[in-house]
Amino acid sequence: MSIILSALQYLGYILIFPGFLFCFLGGMLLCGIDRKIVAKMQKRVGPPVLQPFYDFFKLCGKETIVPAAAAKTTFLMAPLVGLAALVVIQLFIPVFHFSAFSGMADIIVILYLLLIPALSIIIGGAASGSPYAGVGLSREMVTVIACELPLVLVLLAVAKTVGSALGTGLCFSLTEIAAYQAANGSLILRASMIPAALAFLLVIPGETGNHPFDAAEAETEICEGMLAEYSGPPLAVYKLSHAIKMLTLTSLFVALFLGGIGGKIVNILALLGLTGGAAGALGVLLGAVVLFLLCALITIVCISLVHAATARLKIEQIFKYYWTVVSALALMSLVLAWYGL
Amino acid sequence: MFKKLIAESAAKSPWLFHINAGSCNGCDIELVSVLTPRYDAERLGFKLAGSPRHADIVVVTGPVTTQSLPRVLRAISQVPEPRCIVTMGSCPQSGNVFRGSYSVAGPLSKYVHVDVDVAGCAPKPEAVIDGLALATKILKEKRGR
Amino acid sequence: MSMLSYQHFPIYAIMSLFLGAFLVVMLGKNRAVRNALAFISVSASLGFLLALVKRVMIDGEVIAYWMGGRVPAGGYAIGIALEVDALSLFFGLLIAVAVFVSCVYSFSYMSHDDNVREYYTLFLMLAGGVMGLVLSGDLFNMFIMVEILTFAAVALTAFRNTAAGALEAAFKYLVVGCMGSTCILVGTVMLYAQAHTLNFAQLSALIAGDMNTATKVAFALLFIGFSTKAFIVPFHPLAADAHGAAPASISVLISGVLTKSGLYGIIRLTYFLFQSMGLGSMQFLLVFVGSLSMFICVTMALAQHDFKRLLAFHSISQIGYVLTAAGLCTAMGISAGLYHAMNHTIFKGLLFLAAGAVLHQTGTTDLGRLGGLSKRMPHTTVLFLIGAFSISGIPPFNGFASKWMIYQATYMKAVESGNIGFLLVTIIALVTSVLTLASFVKVSQSVFFGRLPAEFENVKEVPFGMRFAMGIFALLCVVTGLFPNLVTNYLTKPAAAAVFSVGNYIDSMMGAGYAESVMAAPPAAPVITYTELGCWDPVSWLLILAIALLAVTIVALAGKYDRVSLRPAATDAKHDLFFGGEESVYSQVGGGDLFWGFKHNWRHYFGFMHDLHSGIVNDYALWALVALALALLFSLIVL
Repeated sequence: MSIILSALQYLGYILIFPGFLFCFLGGMLLCGIDRKIVAKMQKRVGPPVLQPFYDFFKLCGKETIVPAAAAKTTFLMAPLVGLAALVVIQLFIPVFHFSAFSGMADIIVILYLLLIPALSIIIGGAASGSPYAGVGLSREMVTVIACELPLVLVLLAVAKTVGSALGTGLCFSLTEIAAYQAANGSLILRASMIPAALAFLLVIPGETGNHPFDAAEAETEICEGMLAEYSGPPLAVYKLSHAIKMLTLTSLFVALFLGGIGGKIVNILALLGLTGGAAGALGVLLGAVVLFLLCALITIVCISLVHAATARLKIEQIFKYYWTVVSALALMSLVLAWYGL
Repeated sequence: MFKKLIAESAAKSPWLFHINAGSCNGCDIELVSVLTPRYDAERLGFKLAGSPRHADIVVVTGPVTTQSLPRVLRAISQVPEPRCIVTMGSCPQSGNVFRGSYSVAGPLSKYVHVDVDVAGCAPKPEAVIDGLALATKILKEKRGR
Repeated sequence: MSMLSYQHFPIYAIMSLFLGAFLVVMLGKNRAVRNALAFISVSASLGFLLALVKRVMIDGEVIAYWMGGRVPAGGYAIGIALEVDALSLFFGLLIAVAVFVSCVYSFSYMSHDDNVREYYTLFLMLAGGVMGLVLSGDLFNMFIMVEILTFAAVALTAFRNTAAGALEAAFKYLVVGCMGSTCILVGTVMLYAQAHTLNFAQLSALIAGDMNTATKVAFALLFIGFSTKAFIVPFHPLAADAHGAAPASISVLISGVLTKSGLYGIIRLTYFLFQSMGLGSMQFLLVFVGSLSMFICVTMALAQHDFKRLLAFHSISQIGYVLTAAGLCTAMGISAGLYHAMNHTIFKGLLFLAAGAVLHQTGTTDLGRLGGLSKRMPHTTVLFLIGAFSISGIPPFNGFASKWMIYQATYMKAVESGNIGFLLVTIIALVTSVLTLASFVKVSQSVFFGRLPAEFENVKEVPFGMRFAMGIFALLCVVTGLFPNLVTNYLTKPAAAAVFSVGNYIDSMMGAGYAESVMAAPPAAPVITYTELGCWDPVSWLLILAIALLAVTIVALAGKYDRVSLRPAATDAKHDLFFGGEESVYSQVGGGDLFWGFKHNWRHYFGFMHDLHSGIVNDYALWALVALALALLFSLIVL
């Protein structure tokens, strides 16, 4: 009986929160908010916040054309694999003190799991056989290389900071990082972590492929690159994956740098005099709402504002930017953390 | 329920693919002006797509020259169903001042079914938006069927 | 001892290969007989080693075997000895598995070649040479085996000597390989002059405490000698040429087996013979050379246009990982390094076999000419992708598990030693990994996906035998990735323990108490425990991913995801690729240089590397000399 219950519980995690339903709604809303904010920045009315949902459902109703040159199975399966992999990553990112699957993956694993969605779109694009996809995937790969170095540095800096505070020397576990912050305040409040947080914020638009780092999907130059041959539901899945990726990266930022809020949530619940299961459920709910709001805030700051204020960079500029400016910021944090500042 | 949702969404998220079939660039500029802050067609969900595979509405400008004709037809055929074809300006509709030229193969309606014609040289942005709005209605009908 | 006693198994494992080589050349005129003989000898070799797993790996026994029962007398070991501890058996198993799979693959792969009898003879000689090297307990026999494997490998590199560059590659390999062998010989002689013994265990006991200029010089010579066998920087260009020219089944042996013999030699040399890994400078040497190999070779791979040359550079890059991890001198580092060595044999073998499959069916490995093969060779494509994901460290395949341990080990070492340099190594390792991925994206795009050239319209899938061989490796990639704990507990941890149990190694050979009597303080065998810092549960992850994928697929299928519009029998414009309305055959857009954005920023580095790798054997011989001079300088100053 208890096995069935716990199986149902895990299924609930996967399908509802923090799995598919949360990802779907959260990601799409983030995307809508992003488009709205960009429009506002440009003094436009902008699309409704629900626009990504309309786009998604419209695409679901369209015809799927498989080009004659494409490898059909890979072409159709790649988007699904990417989507599933992204949702699984979201499951491993703790929502403050709540983590659905704790102790299963640490930040290095997350770093690698984040490659899978990028890889799925690359393989899918390659399988379409389009020459535009060939150009797009090479740019996507270079963008991934570009983002990898600063991301690695940021993650190592966080691991070192939390590790030396806990006395273990190193800490790669996201759950422990979240727990540490809940007890001792957010990492972003430390001077040494501010450059790393900044670097991570700059990495987010690159990882998601948002403007101005969207050379890989430049719609005016290379017809959206790897997506050039996709139509209908597979395209909808890619659009959804893109939206979820925004949610994943922003919530990873929250988990790494803003985990201290988790402690506040517990305090609030204690003040309200709630205990036991009710507090747990309410805590998760509250955590989810707070997480989403924070994600939205981060999206606005690091995706929308940057989008509205800049023009698209060329691919070698993207690479140079990440390996110099952003990496320098992250490295600064790592060195500071190394010497215990 | 999903069918209804999809049909509703079809009208709210029309993506455009723009084909220049020998246009003088007047209409092309006007089409872009529709997306500028003043007219902001994105509030209705319009978006310029990079590839015909993503498009719902194909906007053709220009008198359809003999050189461009096979390319226009190929690109249009690559747009997935349901789709709408909108001609913009007088050229693709009638040939405009280029009518009768040895190098003009138009009008476009000789070759494919055109859903909406927006006349004018160049049409005003308001007229373009009106034509596109009409096209979205047609899209919804096609989707509903 | 009866003939079937397990103490005989190591020598049986070696002799079955050599005997097979002998019999193939005698009786192997008929194809079936030849294949059967080769198959029996490689399976027997594998079987003998597998029979030792329980005793050596789990019970921790060290098998000391004196040929002809000539045990040491008067304190000197004169007889020829084999000594199999967990480290030897670990490498022996790797070799036996790789040889076995490569042999199965060869049956179909070599079926169109001439002189196949000679091929199998040389193949088994090479295998026997490497097997003898890792199981030997005698420094001079190690040299003999090095010679056998070098000459077999040179001949096999030039086996398809009608192919462009085969003879050139073999010549280069011969020149630099012989320099390496000579170094080993001279090093051996110098040690013999000092210690009056060639037995490895006795040498280990005598040399470490009694260092003088001669032994220091010997160290440098042996180190360079084994480095040429492992193809680490600066010997990497040889590997590229050799792999490019050799048949794919031989590439598997060169990358999976031959380089391992070099690694094995380096580990034995540093941890056992000179017992100098406690020195920070020695750790620096291995980690530095390892990181250099890791990074230089991955960037060189990005610049390649030939499938097999590209794989060759990656091969050395992965060897760099192993050497780096081994150089950390921590339990976790050794364990991670050995794990990666094992994975390297598996996934690199798979990739070379996939390259061989492509070559077999299309006749070329030029990335510029290939494309779109996934439609014609779907199974090979899937198998290749498994190998590519493994080497790039994509979870849950085995490359990830071992790289993940290497990152932890290097970072942990940085924290423990307080040396920020090791941190740099972690970063290089992580970045190298993503560059590896980039270069395999290039391969998959330009060989298996993209547009199918008209000349390959009629290409077919490879025969079942070749797919079966690749399937074995692919299965191993998944299994060793999914169950990292089994691998570490039963394979790498015992081997890592053996690396640190020098005293036990010496005593097993020379009799209990010998190490204590000769060495002032024989190193005590440490308990191999380490805690992994991170957490990674591949099986559960895969389960969750499967559930998620199932959910997505069900929803997708319910939404008629599979109702797609395929091209009807007649061609139509609708299903053509979009190319601005043009017919796609006129497409002028393409990824000429897929990583331009990356290379442009590194153009000075790539230009420098391009000039440096001149392809002239004189230059490479000069590099070897310079490396030897540097190693001499290093050992004279540091040791």
